[in-house]
Amino acid sequence: MNEPSVSVRNLTKSFSGRAVVDDLSFDVRKGEVFALLGHNGAGKSTTIDLILGLKEPNGGSAKILGMDAAKHRKQVFERVGVQLQNTQYQPNITVEEACIEFASLYAAPADYPQLLEQFGLGTLRKSFVSKLSGGERQKLSVVLALIGKPEVVFLDELTTGLDVVARREVWRTLKQLKCQGLTIFLTTHYMEEAEALCDRVCIIRSGKKVIEGTIEETIAASGQRNLEETYLFFMGEEELL
Amino acid sequence: MKRFWKMYQVEQKIFFRSPDVILFCLAMPLVVFIVITMITGGKNAADSGLTYLQSAYVSLSTVGICCSAFMSIPITVVELRSQGILRRMYCSPCSPARLLACDTICSGVVAALSTLILTVAAVFFFGYRMPGNVFAYLAVWLLTMVSMFSIGLMVASLCRTTKSMNVATSLLYFPMLLFSGATIPAEVFPGALRTVAGWMPLGVGIRLLKSVSMGCYDKIIMPVVSLTAIAVICGTVAVRTFRWE
Repeated sequence: MNEPSVSVRNLTKSFSGRAVVDDLSFDVRKGEVFALLGHNGAGKSTTIDLILGLKEPNGGSAKILGMDAAKHRKQVFERVGVQLQNTQYQPNITVEEACIEFASLYAAPADYPQLLEQFGLGTLRKSFVSKLSGGERQKLSVVLALIGKPEVVFLDELTTGLDVVARREVWRTLKQLKCQGLTIFLTTHYMEEAEALCDRVCIIRSGKKVIEGTIEETIAASGQRNLEETYLFFMGEEELL
Repeated sequence: MKRFWKMYQVEQKIFFRSPDVILFCLAMPLVVFIVITMITGGKNAADSGLTYLQSAYVSLSTVGICCSAFMSIPITVVELRSQGILRRMYCSPCSPARLLACDTICSGVVAALSTLILTVAAVFFFGYRMPGNVFAYLAVWLLTMVSMFSIGLMVASLCRTTKSMNVATSLLYFPMLLFSGATIPAEVFPGALRTVAGWMPLGVGIRLLKSVSMGCYDKIIMPVVSLTAIAVICGTVAVRTFRWE
């Protein structure tokens, strides 16, 4: 069996005595799209931070491509792309300049004009990032995540704030990327998005895993009709069903 | 190296898009220089042994350093941190230190450009000639820059929020700009204020630069040692206390 692209084992992190990530374990297999689902404050972003080595866990371990990101930062991030929540851009930077700057970080970067075209940003190369719409900016952050030709990409609430059209465009591109063998780890609040894109999901509540499996397995385990109802069921919000 | 150069070019372009860099670093010293020289250029500046032209050239050649060190550097670093840009850079094969290095070099280039513009104006339009050795002056100017930049970087490391950084930079920048002798010639200060100016880090640099510009090399050891000490101490604190987020 292939080594998982991301492997999380008994990961634990607490802030001032409160467990934010609690004994969390899961694997993301090579070439699959995997979603970590949960409420705001459930520990999704903290889990990503721990996997990426941005925060140090209190216990357990997380490996990307078999390596600890905090210890082998350079090797890991030459092969892993990220889009973080709430990342802003320098004032007065243009789309093209942001691409040049991020491309300069990698030994063998992708062809950024082609990526911009692929994401429908080709005509905005000379525009200031501050003048872009929310959707365009999110698409740019995906371009920047892909600029190092990664094998694994982390997308943290990528489509939050996007309109329906922009979201569908991002989905289409992510599906293409998946066909090319990219492993995608994402978090989202939109269950139809997880259903449309993901092979497997993991639902967490207060930092603890509630269920993990393929979309079909997860829905079957809850006895509900779709992922949104399944999510509410596992979150203990049955009265909303 | 080629990759560093690419990033540097982008950052330098962004720098020149900022109106306060153009205004405070590049235009202001030149304007003050022209005004002082037109009014009192040929007269002797108190008992300093320099004319106002000579004094103003030296003082104003440090304004670019002052603006870069106490405004540009702390503001840039704290903004990069608070906006999550350093955090994002951490998630790449490169260290965020590269971006910081690029930005510090950009600030240095702006300070040098500011002095270059001033020098062209002083030499070609006001007939300024430096009595001392130009290369010695350049060396001391660079030392002053490194020393002041290390203070700026230390402030950037110690200030966790944009608010505290704004307070710190205002407390450093304006007193240094006005009372160290960088813009208003220290020679016109009353005695007490002149003593204060002499104790300010930038004031130490300016006095040293004045001596060297006049070819007096007998009292330069203490200020050189002080500036070097500032650079080492503040530089160390800056690196030790630095955080990406």
